[in-house]
Amino acid sequence: MSLYEIGNLAVDIAGTRLVEDVSLTVEPGLCTAIIGASGSGKSLTCLTPFGLTPGIATGSIRLDGIDLAGADADQLRDARRRHTGFIFQQPLTALTPHLTVGAQLQEATMQAGSARPSRSELVQKLERVGLSRPDERLDQFPHRLSGGERQRVMIAAAIAHSPKLLIADEPTSALDASLRAEIMDLLDQLRVEQGLGMLLVSHDLASIEGHADQLLVMDKGRVVETGPTADVIANPAEDYTRRLISATPRLDEPSPKLAGPGDELLETRDLGVEFNRPGWRRGIILAVANAAIMIRQGESLALVGGSGSGKSTLGRAIAGIGPVTRGKILWRGGALPERRQRTLEMRRLIQPVFQDPVASLDPQWQVLDIVTEPLRNLRPDLTRTEREDLARQALSDVDLAKDFLTRMPASLSGGQAQRVAIARAIIAAPQLLVLDEATSALDPLVGAEILKLLHRLQEENGLSLLFITHDIAAARRLCHRIAVMDDGRIVETGDLQEVIDNPRHAATQRLVAAS
Amino acid sequence: MFGLITRRLLTAIPTLLVIILASFFLMRLAPGGPFDGERPLDQTTQAALQQAYGLDRPLWEQAWLYVSRLVQGDFGPSLVYRDFTVSELIAQGLPISLMLGGLAIVLALAIGVTAGLFAAVRAGKAADKVIMMLATVATALPTFVTGPALALLFGLWLGLLPVSGSGDGAAWLIMPVVALALPVSGAIAKLTRAGLASVLKQDHIRTARARGLSETKILFKHGLRPALVPVASYLGPAAAGLLTGAVVVETVFGLPGLGRYFVQGALNRDYPLVLGVVTLYAALIILFNLFADLIYGWLDPRMREE
Repeated sequence: MSLYEIGNLAVDIAGTRLVEDVSLTVEPGLCTAIIGASGSGKSLTCLTPFGLTPGIATGSIRLDGIDLAGADADQLRDARRRHTGFIFQQPLTALTPHLTVGAQLQEATMQAGSARPSRSELVQKLERVGLSRPDERLDQFPHRLSGGERQRVMIAAAIAHSPKLLIADEPTSALDASLRAEIMDLLDQLRVEQGLGMLLVSHDLASIEGHADQLLVMDKGRVVETGPTADVIANPAEDYTRRLISATPRLDEPSPKLAGPGDELLETRDLGVEFNRPGWRRGIILAVANAAIMIRQGESLALVGGSGSGKSTLGRAIAGIGPVTRGKILWRGGALPERRQRTLEMRRLIQPVFQDPVASLDPQWQVLDIVTEPLRNLRPDLTRTEREDLARQALSDVDLAKDFLTRMPASLSGGQAQRVAIARAIIAAPQLLVLDEATSALDPLVGAEILKLLHRLQEENGLSLLFITHDIAAARRLCHRIAVMDDGRIVETGDLQEVIDNPRHAATQRLVAAS
Repeated sequence: MFGLITRRLLTAIPTLLVIILASFFLMRLAPGGPFDGERPLDQTTQAALQQAYGLDRPLWEQAWLYVSRLVQGDFGPSLVYRDFTVSELIAQGLPISLMLGGLAIVLALAIGVTAGLFAAVRAGKAADKVIMMLATVATALPTFVTGPALALLFGLWLGLLPVSGSGDGAAWLIMPVVALALPVSGAIAKLTRAGLASVLKQDHIRTARARGLSETKILFKHGLRPALVPVASYLGPAAAGLLTGAVVVETVFGLPGLGRYFVQGALNRDYPLVLGVVTLYAALIILFNLFADLIYGWLDPRMREE
């Protein structure tokens, strides 16, 4: 008998069937994973049988011999309380902000009816998930911890009452690549040690490969393919699975063909960005120190680093949307002044694209207004009709139909929104795009298409790209060279393939190993 | 936290000074003076009085004298209640006003938070709609309507509570406190309901639910505190409103609180009395806002960072 078994599961929300005919089993000590794009119903499949979504689950659901299919709210609550642990995607928001780590861990330990744990027991639980200075952490509030630390607390709390089943809904999606690998390894260890069965949900092949025993591929609420993980990845039977696998960038895939770069376009010399320490503590934070990077015409430079490494701050400084404390930015050998002194022409040359496409579009504006906004400011010489012609051209450049001009951002999917954001960036004919994690928030299939689009735009228009990311494998599809950042400094630069083959700095080695 | 308190108290000094000086000069701009009555005094008496109270000196000198005496804790003499200093009048009125305001805040919080909580739990159902409608009515009715209405109903018709004045026991307090608290409780109910509605959708509530906690425990342990943040930010201005709102209630129920002195002082051009009350109100408002900020930090530890 399996630990957890669902058969012919269907999930309805408000009369609409969103998941249909899903069957899976989870065995003690093993991991079953569900992979799929957002909206494929994978989270609903995991959480609805336990009453954690507004949906209604029908089908057969058995947890450790108990039938959950017809269970009422109290029985479901009991099933969560005693036998199941949950890990959610957003470690930033999944912990209660006004309760200390210790208080929440204590609550989790006692949820299945255990006695109040002693402080040293709580310390042990935090040590077990690899949290440094556990004693101190117990009295801290969640917002004082980093994303990775919070996710460790979340894991410690999820297994504190010794559950039999662990349900992990995108446990690593909000973390950067090297943390992602660490957290997945930790989950593997705990699973084996405690004989936990795990149901893992992800949109990301990298956090499943090598960690899950069984794999279900879901699309549009249905299971597309299922089988042992290694088999499915090595020999995908279905077209959707094949596309999903080929969309996920890997370091061992063949190198892409990249156009040869031209003359030097942009250079930073000893660029530094400092911030005042927040709060009443005195002192400054060196977000970027002595950064020297160079980009040629038609070349893509990958700026890679973990979260907090200063890569976005450097990108913002170059794009003229963030502060520069010291150092110089040179454009074709001439100095590029700080943002307020840049002329319209200079501003036009460098355009940014951001991580969250939906949040970076004004929800009250039509796509037409969004896309032409740079022109209204940067090209006051154009008439309204000229602007609209250019907008149509920009939309066709990013493979969107003309009728998108009248759409509102809320009606766009993530990939469409990112295309609109790219159209907005290229409409004023810039020479350098600063792409800040432009594909990180997208599903692999959509992200791969955006990478292709950027590659094409670069070839056709001789655009230069500064591709800021934590994912070396994604950068490899697009970039000629790489600059690795760690703790505000550029620690390694060079030809992308050479750096991947021979990473010298520890930070680079971590990033390569995590890809 | 001590940093916040010291910093706030230090910035309070220039704030108070500006308020005092602004009120001082504004009041002098208003026509009339403390010794203008229906029967005008003769020239010499008028001049003698002006001289005795220093009103014949240049305005800036008077302002300087007032502030320097204030620093020593001297609010000056009342120009109309001739036998009293302003400090004595305040000492008489302040306890009543503070008691009214303090009890009203406590009552408003108790009613408002309870009603808001109840409505949020029943969101969308009949109970929610009825509570929110009552809250709107309570917020909209001014105290000069609810005060006399309460007095008519419970005082005159039912004869349960004294209609005006203070006496032994606490019965005389009930109607004025209720009249003061009603509009504030309505606003607090709405803020609590809205705060809870947004907090209960957040991820950490799902985490608590995933632990199999009871809904009551989720509500009180994980939901209520962050939901009260908007209430806390409303409390500072609300406390100020209760002090000034008390003017009406004290008049309606004939209570000798600060509010009456304030209104009469303004009508009589009793400069030191009005300035004294304004200074006191301003200091209290600054203090209440500081309290509200400290409550903030307790409700949501993330706020302690800034």
